[in-house]
This record gives sequence, structure tokens and C-alpha cells, in this order.
Amino acid sequence: MSETEKKIDRYVFPTHGVCPPEIHFQLAGGVLKNVRFVGGGCPGNAQLVGRLLEGKSLDDVLKYLDGISCRNNTSCPDQLSVALTEALRGSLKPARSFRLFSDDLTGTRIGLIGELDGNRDLLKTLISSIRGQGVDTIHYLGNTVGQSQKSRPFFRLVNQENIRVVLGERDWRCAQGEEGGNFPKLTRKERDSLCLFPQVLSFRLGEKTGMAFYGRYLLSLEDFSDFEPFALEMNMVCGLTDLMQDETVFGALEAMVSQFTAQIVVFSQRESWGHWHIKDVDFISLGKAREDDRLSWGLLEHGDSGIRFRVMRDNL
Amino acid sequence: MAESVKVLPEEIQALIDIHEWDMRTRPGIQRFKELKARSLPSVALDEDLIYESIIPGQEELIHEIRRRHQIKNT
Repeated sequence: MSETEKKIDRYVFPTHGVCPPEIHFQLAGGVLKNVRFVGGGCPGNAQLVGRLLEGKSLDDVLKYLDGISCRNNTSCPDQLSVALTEALRGSLKPARSFRLFSDDLTGTRIGLIGELDGNRDLLKTLISSIRGQGVDTIHYLGNTVGQSQKSRPFFRLVNQENIRVVLGERDWRCAQGEEGGNFPKLTRKERDSLCLFPQVLSFRLGEKTGMAFYGRYLLSLEDFSDFEPFALEMNMVCGLTDLMQDETVFGALEAMVSQFTAQIVVFSQRESWGHWHIKDVDFISLGKAREDDRLSWGLLEHGDSGIRFRVMRDNL
Repeated sequence: MAESVKVLPEEIQALIDIHEWDMRTRPGIQRFKELKARSLPSVALDEDLIYESIIPGQEELIHEIRRRHQIKNT
């Protein structure tokens, strides 16, 4: 394998005792790349550290990082040293291509919100309407970055209201610094905040396991493996059935669902409401949150007769 | 389905190249779509989708392989 063909492993290290909750980095044949201190801390210093360490071998960088104290007897460089040492030992495993969050809460009523394009005011109205129906959790599958909206108030609201956000494609591209067009340029802090949202959410509804994701972009992520958790569900929805639009292949889908981990699969890229029950699996497509003068959201319930899904509509 | 192909007699195996595609993977799905298949399991011979949902009997499969082989070699 040549120098340029070396396998790149991506790592996410949960820190202890420092401001940024995570450090992201890549290792390619013992060489450090793309160090990012994510979610807090001194952004200027963190960027400088990342730049100084770019392309350096682990042997070279470890001697500089160890034993620096800032707070709680540790520091960002010290935590990076711990992360790199654990990666070398193998106790820190390479991260998955996508970020998966498992919600431990087992509920019986979930509110589902589709694409909002980062519209905080609409989100606020929807939350009030959904809470009125006594749901246990609210999931939002879409983009937090919109054309004219500032992202920070949206982030603040989802954090305050404990909304489970599943990252949309635009958000992911913005988090990677790829934003363009009419979208506002994000600060590094905002991009880092986006990196902390999951791209796949697993949840419990009664005795059923559910998974939620945005759409196709996940399959094209670097290092996406067809054998990661829930990869089969995403391959079937996006690759095989074209977001459940190609009904001619539902026979093949039926043959594959017995291998699924999830019994509820929710996605939102199609931007139109839909519910299919195929063998023991419920597939749910979320429509846009705003349709003309109405707000729409999905109510997913678990009752004695199994899963029930309804689209709820409110006039604006 | 793949097993029914793999257990064909040696003289038939000598006439064909066998490719098995895993439907859990993106290349498997891509091949499935290229063949315009709809169900599983599916068998294609020379890019033609011949069997869908059903596992053919060995005799039927051998007959179809021989028939195609003959056409190609006459």
C-alpha cells in the first residue's frame, strides 16, 4: 500500500475534565490528521494545536502533549495524549462512518417532525402542539441550518426542549465546512455543535426497536460499511426501494426485513408523508413540517394492537 | 438459491461462471437493479433474469444452461 493509499481511521474521543466534550482526529499509518476539539474550549488555541499537529507522526507529537495541566489536573493536549495512546493500544476503536445515538428511554408516544429548514419559530409552535398530545419524546429529522435563519437559536431551543435531532444532509455538509449557495456561513463553534448531533437515532417504542435517519447521504459517507448497525435498513430504504417509491421491489424488501434490527424505520428525505407495514416492520416517511398554511407532524404510538401512526395537522 | 447452482454437476459448472451477490450490500443492490429484478431469490443467466422468487429444479436449470450454451456455440 502506498503512502497515499494508507487506510484512514477516524476517532471520536469523549474527554474528561476539559471544556470540549469530544476530540475528533484521524490516523493514517501512524500519522495524525484533522484534529478537532469539538463542542467547547478555546477555539483559537484548539485550531492552532490542530494545525501544528497536522501530518505529524504519533511518535513526534506524543512527547509534546503529555502532562500539560489546565484544569482538573488535565488539559486539552493532555486529553489528546490519552486519546492517541488509547488509539495506539486499541482500547479506543475507530468511529463509525455515522454518529449513532441510542435513546434509552422507552416510551409509548413519540412526536415526529420532518424538514423545518432550521425555522425556529415553526419548531416552537410545533413543540407546543406536540406536547399537548402527551408525547414522551420529540424527534426532529431534518436540517437545523436554513436559508435565513441563524443556527444558534435553533440549537438552543432543541437543547432546552430536549428534542432528539437527527442530522440532515445540509447540516452534515455545513459541519464539514462545505456550505455554500444562499446559506449563511457558520462559525466554527456552530459547525462543531452540528457535529455533536447524531445521524442515526435508535429508540424504543413499547417492546419495538426503532431507528431514524435522514436519507441517502449517509450511504455515501466515507467509510460507510454495509455491515454497521442499521446499515441494512438504510440500504433497503435508500438503495433498494428509492425511499419507498419503487413498489415493484417490495417483494425483495419483504425477503430482507427478517434480517433487520429495527421494527420501525423512520426517514425524512422523501419529504412526503407515508406509512408502510411490510411483514413485521413499519416504514415511516416524514413530510415537510410546513405544508401551505398548515403545520404537520407525525404521532407514533404503541398500543395493545401494535404500532399506530397518524399525521397530525394544525392550521397556522 | 446459490446452493442450488453450486451443487450442479461438474460438467455443467465447467460451462458457467457463477457470481453471487449479497443483497445486504450496496453492490448487491446495484446488481439487483441492473437486472431489473423484483424479488428474492433471483437467478440471471447471461444478464437475463430467468428465475424470480422460485428455486428451479436442478434438471430445469441444467436444461436452460445447456440450451444457452448450445445457442452460443452454434
